[in-house]
Amino acid sequence: MLKPERMVKVSVVGPRDHFETVSDILYRLNLIHIEDPVEDEYFKLGEPFEKAGILSKSLVQLRSILSYLKLDPEKFVPKRRYREEEIKAELDRKLEEYRTEIGAKIDRIKELQEKIKALEDELKVIEPLKALGIPPRLLKGYKTIRAFVGFIRADPSPKIQSITSDFEVFLKDYGKEYVVAVFVKVEYAEEVYRVLQELGFREVSVPDIEDYDSRISEINSEISRLKEEIATLEKEIEDLKAREAELMLAIEEYLSMELEKSELPLKSLVSKYAFIIVGYIPARKFNEFKSAVESETGGKVTVEMIEDEEFEPPTKLNNPPGVRNFEILTLTYTTPKYHEIDPTAIMAIFFPIFFGAMLGDVGYGAIITVLCLFLKRIFKTEGWQRLLNIGVYAGIVSIFFGFIYGECFGPFVSVEEGKIEFFKHFLWPILHAIGVHKFEPVFDRVSPMGIKVLLFVTIVVGIFKILWGFILGFYTVLKEHGFKEAMLEKGCWILGVLGLACIIFGFAYNLGVFHYFFGVGPAEGSGIPPLPLPGVVKGWQQGLNFFYLAALPLILIWFVLFVMGEVPKMGAMGVILAVELLTWFGQIVSYARILAIGLSSVYIAFVMNFIGVGLIDPQGMCIPVLGVIVLIIGHLINLILGVLDPGLQSLRLHYVEFFTKFLEGGGVLYKPFGRIKKFLE
Amino acid sequence: MAEEAIARGLIAVGAGLAVGLAGIGAGLGESGIGAAAVGATAEDRGFFGLGILFTVIPETIVIFGLVIAFILMFAFH
Repeated sequence: MLKPERMVKVSVVGPRDHFETVSDILYRLNLIHIEDPVEDEYFKLGEPFEKAGILSKSLVQLRSILSYLKLDPEKFVPKRRYREEEIKAELDRKLEEYRTEIGAKIDRIKELQEKIKALEDELKVIEPLKALGIPPRLLKGYKTIRAFVGFIRADPSPKIQSITSDFEVFLKDYGKEYVVAVFVKVEYAEEVYRVLQELGFREVSVPDIEDYDSRISEINSEISRLKEEIATLEKEIEDLKAREAELMLAIEEYLSMELEKSELPLKSLVSKYAFIIVGYIPARKFNEFKSAVESETGGKVTVEMIEDEEFEPPTKLNNPPGVRNFEILTLTYTTPKYHEIDPTAIMAIFFPIFFGAMLGDVGYGAIITVLCLFLKRIFKTEGWQRLLNIGVYAGIVSIFFGFIYGECFGPFVSVEEGKIEFFKHFLWPILHAIGVHKFEPVFDRVSPMGIKVLLFVTIVVGIFKILWGFILGFYTVLKEHGFKEAMLEKGCWILGVLGLACIIFGFAYNLGVFHYFFGVGPAEGSGIPPLPLPGVVKGWQQGLNFFYLAALPLILIWFVLFVMGEVPKMGAMGVILAVELLTWFGQIVSYARILAIGLSSVYIAFVMNFIGVGLIDPQGMCIPVLGVIVLIIGHLINLILGVLDPGLQSLRLHYVEFFTKFLEGGGVLYKPFGRIKKFLE
Repeated sequence: MAEEAIARGLIAVGAGLAVGLAGIGAGLGESGIGAAAVGATAEDRGFFGLGILFTVIPETIVIFGLVIAFILMFAFH
């Protein structure tokens, strides 16, 4: 937790005649993350093993069939798995079968589809001609007369009239255009054609047929016959798919594995007689790895740990099972570098808490939990499972906060005494029956005092998280660049934020927040000015308290350290960057969204309940159906908002306000040579 | 008495302006980001999550407005 898995750099060296065996072993161990090699005088990049060519050819054919069948290895959940020996024994026969059975059928389907298209095109020509009503044999085959047949935008007769009076035009409305047949003497043909073109004439070639109707019915029956044949073929393919899907995907997996193995030389260096592979493996697996490789090759291949200047291992996040779900949230932001802190565990604690504190509703929380548990049974891919697990955690925490706030589909108790009684109204009889005569939420966030307290609490959480972020940042810089750098870069901000925190506390102290919590300091409404600004606020001396006095030196030390750090880098103008302290102030206040988002969701629920219950109430509007519809739709909308907004805002509080303090990212994710088999045993 | 009532009213108006104007500002900010995020998502579906996240970033401004409104309502009443 908090640190990626420790890695060591290793080299695997051996004679070339053992290369294929080593490739098999490494692939099976699935441990070594191979570093891209650099060629030198003696060692060059290798070439794939001989079998790679034939493997990749078979794989391409198989994958094209799989893509036609819409079989996605990522999404498909196999019902049974195959042993590698089974695949090996059947491989050639099955591949040939798929080529002839499915491949040929797919080709035949494509051919038939093309035929259908040609027939449909013919139909598109015949139908307008039929509308014109002139038999096909009269539309062509003249010696002294030229016949123009086609589509046109307008009646050409007046224009042709100006060329010759000896002509015949047949015109028929056809959709947006007209179908036209123009007969003129051959000597006027050219001029008439020009005129026709001006009117957007498109000629169609008259087909060699006797009769339109018989041809149309012929085409239609032909098309339906072809479609039937396609359907039969598709049915056959579908049957085969149902029967063979697992086997096909197992073969695909087997071929991909073999191909990856045979392409290992591309990631290693070879000389005339030897090969060398350099990569990283988890430190605790080193002995296992070394003994496996060396014993299986009879000591011909050696594995050594390298202590190298260039040590840039990949990041393998190392978290316990429950926390692992949250890795996708961290990785969405960035992949931490090997030396950096992996914040997944911190996020696993705070993400659900923030979510729950924002949503905080028993009803919505329960729906989210149940929905996520249900969806987990449908979406089986790893990414979805992880995301839905996060949803379940967040939902459960929301239920917990719901009890604290006393909310179930909106405020459980009246917002103002006697004004709104939603669930109370319905639930009182039940609550009375089970012996509950009084219900008060542990903490009512809708009351004026509740808002104040929650505002203060969220801001304290903000201060805490931002300081924590800077402390983690301090630690990271300390590890990499030493104390002085860490102090100037991150340490000064810790002091600066502490100063800000003191100012915020001083302000809250004067407002009576400390009186509320601990019974010290002035009570609420004591009239002490919250901000003691000399010269601006009257009687500012009264407002000066311990926190304000503590803030002053902290801010001063911060400023000195900041100038020491920034001025050598940026010049005198670097001082201006001190304004950044205000950014941190903004980020602290930004945590108030935990209160704000929650309140907005409470009030939407409240309004929906108010309208809905008012409609149902026998003394009110008394339209129960409409009331129920309003309640359902209203709460559905609020639930969608309630998932989206707290989720995103909680994520954002981590990404923007927390991660930026210590996480640079841009690491490479650990991807060992090998794979976790899905379709093979 | 009348003066105090006016002051209270003005505080309420101020609080409303703080939230409302901040809301307009955040909306303006989000419009550009939202459009760009939709464009990026059209190119690559994988960007969807990150796109939504970018889109809500200016929402902080409304939170500031809201906090100011609360402070006005509670600290200066």
